[in-house]
Amino acid sequence: MEQEQQNSGVVRKEKISHGAKGMTIIVKNISSWVKILIVLFGIYIVLFGHLTPGGGFAGGVILASSYVLLMLAFGREFVEKDLPLAIDSKIDCLGALLFALIAILGFVFGGTFFFNFLHQKYQIGESFHLISAGTIPLANIAIGLKVGASLFLVIFMLSTFRRDTSSNK
Amino acid sequence: MPYALCFLLFMLGLYCAVVKKNMVKIVIGIMVMEYAVNLFLIMLGYRTGGTAPIIDKGQLEAGMGQFINTSVDPLPQALVLTAIVISLGSLALMISICIRVYEKYGTFDITQIRRLKG
Repeated sequence: MEQEQQNSGVVRKEKISHGAKGMTIIVKNISSWVKILIVLFGIYIVLFGHLTPGGGFAGGVILASSYVLLMLAFGREFVEKDLPLAIDSKIDCLGALLFALIAILGFVFGGTFFFNFLHQKYQIGESFHLISAGTIPLANIAIGLKVGASLFLVIFMLSTFRRDTSSNK
Repeated sequence: MPYALCFLLFMLGLYCAVVKKNMVKIVIGIMVMEYAVNLFLIMLGYRTGGTAPIIDKGQLEAGMGQFINTSVDPLPQALVLTAIVISLGSLALMISICIRVYEKYGTFDITQIRRLKG
């Protein structure tokens, strides 16, 4: 009995991922490959924000756009299962809290708000290397998390608004 | 001349925001105005034939004086990046207000939205 239930669950999952919901199978396959590249590119932009053009905001937008691509290809329910809204809003808050924590740590260690204590006091790394700019990459990571999660939430919420109106009338 | 074109773009956005009656078109006009201002600020910091304000290793060894003389001004770029973030947030707010109003009144026309309903 239990096995049967599991089997039906697997079948249902298969139906959701390749069923009639969303776009055609070509779009689904291509976007499920391309999403990995988009996520990698976003992480690269966030991590190298202090060396090359880019940074937390641009990388966060790219990270959010990977999930928007999934939402367009597979439909909203798939994305909601892949990244539940509770986790998404927790990531959102975590980014903001990390950014505030970095700023206040500068106050604690250096005496001024946003003091770059890792760079000024401990001199970690040398110039033009990945680990060189003290707290700036950490702040970039925090902004990337915040922007990615909140921009995805904005687009997701705008798409749920439309569903609500159509079901009401 | 580029400043005049910026002003023209701003005026187009203002015209769209003031004259049009569709709410979505008003939002588009406001965004065109914001981008005209962003373009103006970027062009204030531009220098003909200038390089991007990013220091690499060779420039650091050659000395900062040459870098300062050739690169464009990075301050308006940082300001405009912040302005783009804020305009994105305000765009999301305006669009969600438009969707809510359409849900309540069934129209985007601002001349027909008169009743105040709690």
